Amino acid sequence: MMRTNTGKKILRKTLSGSLPKVIAIATAAIALLAPQYSVGADSTPRVVLNTSKAGPRSMESQTETVILRDYKFAWTSLEQALESNSTAPLSGLFAGTANTWLTNSVTSQRSSGLSSRYLNQNHKVEAVFYAPEGDMIELHDTADYDLQIFDGGKTIHDEHVVVRYVVLMTPGADRWVIRQLQAVPQF
Amino acid sequence: MSSSTNTVCTTRKSEHKSEERPRIRLRPCVVRLCVLRPCLLRSCLLRRGALALLLCSVCLAGARVYAQDTDLRAPSAAVAGTPASIATTGGGAATFYLVGPSIAVKRDVKLGQEIDLTAKELQNSGKYIAIVCTSSCRSVGFFVAPAKPVNLAFLVHPSRAPVGESNVVSGVAIPSDEFHNLVLTPTAVDFQLTAAGAAPASHRVSTQNGVAWFHTNSGRSAGALAITASINDVSTRRVVQQVASDPCRLQIKGQQNAKGFVVETEPVRDCTGNPVPDGTVVTFTAKDAQGTDTVDAPVKKGIARAQMVGSGPVTISAASGVAMGNELHLGAQ
Repeated sequence: MMRTNTGKKILRKTLSGSLPKVIAIATAAIALLAPQYSVGADSTPRVVLNTSKAGPRSMESQTETVILRDYKFAWTSLEQALESNSTAPLSGLFAGTANTWLTNSVTSQRSSGLSSRYLNQNHKVEAVFYAPEGDMIELHDTADYDLQIFDGGKTIHDEHVVVRYVVLMTPGADRWVIRQLQAVPQF
Repeated sequence: MSSSTNTVCTTRKSEHKSEERPRIRLRPCVVRLCVLRPCLLRSCLLRRGALALLLCSVCLAGARVYAQDTDLRAPSAAVAGTPASIATTGGGAATFYLVGPSIAVKRDVKLGQEIDLTAKELQNSGKYIAIVCTSSCRSVGFFVAPAKPVNLAFLVHPSRAPVGESNVVSGVAIPSDEFHNLVLTPTAVDFQLTAAGAAPASHRVSTQNGVAWFHTNSGRSAGALAITASINDVSTRRVVQQVASDPCRLQIKGQQNAKGFVVETEPVRDCTGNPVPDGTVVTFTAKDAQGTDTVDAPVKKGIARAQMVGSGPVTISAASGVAMGNELHLGAQ
C-alpha cells in the first residue's frame, strides 16, 4: 500500500511539475498553427442579404432564400475556380458576361502561372432592383476579404480589401445565376 | 552620377572627422547610390571605424529599402477599351503583373519607365491590381470605368397580353458599352409604344443603378404592340401581341335535328369587341326531364358549336369563363 501511495505521489508530483510545460507547449502550438488552419475554417463566404429596398416587385421569402443560397455558392465556386485555375466550379452558376469574364480570368491566370485566393469573405448584399416580372434582380454587394495573389508558390500580393460589386442575377432552370459581376468604386 | 556618389561619401566622412554623432537619414538618393554603385559600397566597406560600419548598415538597409522604393502611379481615370499607363519610379528590371476582371498577365518591365496597358487589357470595367516585383513587391489598385453605352439589353413581358388590362406590359432596359460593361451613370432611355389604330405613346426614364424600367396598360384593340427602347443612337425593338381578353357575353342559337339539338354561339367577343382566339372553350349545358348533359366546345373561327342528344323539351345554356349566355328553350310542344 505504501508503495502504491508513494508511486501515486511521485506520479502526481511529476505531472504537477510537467503539466504547466505541456500546457504551455500545447498553447504555443495552437497559437502557431491556428492562423494556418483558420483559413480552412473561414473558407465559406458569409453573406447577408437585405431585400427591404427591392422594387418595383417585392421579393417573396422563398426567392430570397434561394438567391442567398445561390449567391453564396457562386462565391464559394469562384474562389475555388481562381485558386485551382479550373473553370469546372463555375459551371452552371455564372452565365453571360460574368461567365465569360471569370472563364477568361481562370485561363489567363493559368497561362501566366498565377493563382489567387479570396479568404475570409464577408458580403453585405442589398437588393436594389427586382424586375416587375421577377426575371432579373440587381444586387449591391459590399464585400471584404483577404485577397492573395500567387506567382507559382510566391505570394506577390496579400491585402485585405473592401470591394463593391454590382451584380445582376437571373433565374435559370433550377437556380439563380450571376450574369454580371462588376466592381465599382462606389454605389 | 559619379559626382553625386562622391559627394555622399564625403559628406559622411566629414561628419565622422568632426566627431559629431553621425546622423544617417535614409534618403532615397543615398540608398539608390549605395545600391546602384557597388564601388561605393566597396569603398565604404574598406574604411575603418564606426562610420564604415554605419555606412555599410545604411547600404545594406538601403538594398532592402530600395527594393520597396519603387513607386507606382495608377491611371487616374481609366476607361474601358482605352489604353492607359502606369508610371513607375526607380530603375532596373522588374516583373509586372496586372490582375483584373477577365485578365491576369505577367511581363518584364523596366522601372523608371511607364508601363503601357493596352486597350484590350483594360476592356472590362472593374477593379484592377497592378503589381511590380523586384526582390519585393509593390502594388496599386485602380478602377476602370465603362465606356459610353452602345448596347441595350431590353426585357419585355409578357409576349402576349390581353387587351384592356392595367399595368400588364412591362419593360426593363439595361445599357452597356461595347465590351458588355454595365453603364451605371444615369442615362435617359426613351420607351416608345406603337400599336395599330392608336397614337404612339412614349416615356422617358432615367436609369437608376444602371436600369430603366416602365410598365403600362395594354390597348383596347388586339394586334401587335411594338415597343422600342432608345438611348443615344441605339435602339432595341420588342413586340407584344395584344390578344382579346375573356369572352364578355355569349349569345346562342339552336335547332332540333335528327340526332337531337345543334347549338352554336354568335361570334364570341371580349368586352372591347375583339373576337376571342380560337380554342377558347365554351361549355353548353342542356337540362331536360332525364337530367343534365354538358358539352365543352372550342371556338373555331369565332364560333363554338355543339351537338346535344335529346328529344323532349330542353333548356340549353352556355358559359365561358365568367360570361354566361342566354337560355334557349327547344323541343317544347
